[in-house]
Amino acid sequence: MDANLLSSYIFAVVVLNVLLGLMAYMTYFERKVMAAMQDRVGPNRTGPVGLLQPIADGIKLLTKEDIIPKHADRRIFLLAPLLSFVLAPVAAAVIPFGDSINVFGHEVNLYVADINVAALYFLAIGSMGVYGIILGGYASANRYSLLGGLRSAAQVISYEIILGLSLIGVFILSGSLSLVEIVSQQSETLNLGPLQLPNWFILSQPLAFVIFLIAAVAETNRAPFDLPEAETELIGGFHTEYSGFRFSFFFLAEYISMIIISLFAATIFLGGTDGPIRDGVWWLAIKAAIFLFFYIWLRTTVPRFRYDQLMGLAWKVLLPLVLINILLTGFIRLWGLGML
Amino acid sequence: MAAEVLVFNLLSAVAIVAAAAMITMRNPIHSAIALVVTFVNVAAIFVMLRAEFLAAVQIIVYTGAVLVLILFVLMLVNQDDLPEFHGAKPLQQVFGFGLGIVLLIEIGAAILTRTVVAEPGPWDEQGIAQAGGHIQSIGQVLYSGYVLPIQATAFVLLLATIGALFLGRPDEDEEPTPTRRPVATISLAHTRGADDAPLPQLQAANVKHEAGDRDLIMARDADEFTSIPGEDDEQKERSE
Amino acid sequence: MSELMPEHFMFLSAALFIIGMVGVLTRNNVLVIFMCVELMLTAVNISFVGFAWEFNQLTGQIFALFVIAIAAAEAVIGLGIIMALTRQRDTVDINQVRELRQ
Repeated sequence: MDANLLSSYIFAVVVLNVLLGLMAYMTYFERKVMAAMQDRVGPNRTGPVGLLQPIADGIKLLTKEDIIPKHADRRIFLLAPLLSFVLAPVAAAVIPFGDSINVFGHEVNLYVADINVAALYFLAIGSMGVYGIILGGYASANRYSLLGGLRSAAQVISYEIILGLSLIGVFILSGSLSLVEIVSQQSETLNLGPLQLPNWFILSQPLAFVIFLIAAVAETNRAPFDLPEAETELIGGFHTEYSGFRFSFFFLAEYISMIIISLFAATIFLGGTDGPIRDGVWWLAIKAAIFLFFYIWLRTTVPRFRYDQLMGLAWKVLLPLVLINILLTGFIRLWGLGML
Repeated sequence: MAAEVLVFNLLSAVAIVAAAAMITMRNPIHSAIALVVTFVNVAAIFVMLRAEFLAAVQIIVYTGAVLVLILFVLMLVNQDDLPEFHGAKPLQQVFGFGLGIVLLIEIGAAILTRTVVAEPGPWDEQGIAQAGGHIQSIGQVLYSGYVLPIQATAFVLLLATIGALFLGRPDEDEEPTPTRRPVATISLAHTRGADDAPLPQLQAANVKHEAGDRDLIMARDADEFTSIPGEDDEQKERSE
Repeated sequence: MSELMPEHFMFLSAALFIIGMVGVLTRNNVLVIFMCVELMLTAVNISFVGFAWEFNQLTGQIFALFVIAIAAAEAVIGLGIIMALTRQRDTVDINQVRELRQ
């Protein structure tokens, strides 16, 4: 087999395992940060400083009784959480974790694939993720789950449009959809008069960045956009009837999507592995951690949106803004190229 | 090269099996899932045929939007599994399958005996690499020769949006006139969402009254009968 | 065959199209018929893309792109009509909506 292909496979396995480990400890991170913001302590019993809490949670969820409602559509009931959980980390295949390192004389690329439609691939996997929600809501043989699932799915597909459109400004400025290319363009310097700034797209596309952030929070069904699955509303929305490890699939799929969208935002808007001293994966990790902290911060601070406010925000506020952003970016680019 | 053919055959086999499953499955939601499988395999085949942009568009638009819309509508108007849905007339089925097989043989013969003759174009792998990549080459071709179709498509999409808004408006105050089903069925097998309390004793008089002049069949299972008795007579009656 | 020949994708396109056609002819549920129509459109797309690959042109891919866009628009209107119809008639059986007047 081709050495490149083999190294891609091995790197993919490594990335997947690291992601799964991070996802487990993301739950711990969230609980500790939420506790700190709410003047509590958070988990501190299991293991030192509560570090074994995710393992305890995992054991609890895996050993719970597997309940399937009697009139549920059995095959789809089993399929829906699998769809969510499998599709979530697949999007990490295009995120560049660095350039390439030299291992035993072979050049190993620090990304699984460098396809020339990488950003579209990411959006495509995100749009497939809505099936887990719809089918989970439908298969539960419960009218409220169905309604919650449909509402959740409508929210996800509306904000998916906003997510995609907010990236178009970045594509206009960079001229490429490949994430490796976008990262390498952000390591150049932007001269703004006396300032020498890195060419990060957050500086050239601030509006798109804010809109992307809002859309990313809504896309993963996180607070303040989590009405369809909030406990006080429809009990659990589409995952009401799921228990044990099936529920953990949905729950963990949400955390993996959060991590991956944070990595993606760090790659596109904050320069990925670019850093002042030395380029490397740690910079990407720090930037993604900032986004994850922002997610948790939003959850503890902002009250929940009502469903019609949420949808109105997407269609009546964010959509015109993002279209104006595309228009402006197009004009500025043409002016910069001297074609106006 | 054999690996390519093997992968293509595998993908197309799964796509064809899923499509066949779609047209034979009883539950329309299972059909929709089978169609999702078909579309994802078709997107993979597009990637093999060096159309990566189109593969991504296929997944985002077709599976991620059109099929989600179909699933939404299915869930909002889905009806209980009444026996009349399995009452497809045998003549209809035989004719459909027969026509399909005949057409398949014809097209197969045409494919194997004729060849398509065309001028090869400039966009082979080197040409695409010269233009700067697949996206850039599609951009070049699309925006230099096809600007008018783009504008027309944009207009059509605008019309579709306006049409959807108009069709989705709730009617002022119209009672739905339910179709008078040709057979009065009382489903004794509980459908989804019902609880398991025992049925109250059915009063024969009430039930007969409900059925009116139609045939009354009490079926426990959707498979108990597949024909709709008396439908031909009823149609004759209605047209007179 | 050891190489990817045009016959491969032509057979696939024909098979999917015929399966879609058989579905339209035999099924009674309006929404399943609609899904079969989408399947037929996808089969035609495969044909377009296959010929574009065979002859090193991009015209086929661009046509397929337009087909997808128009199919999306058609899906929206078609489903709107179906929803309006079922809201009025309360059935999705295509044999029950055969008459122009109620």
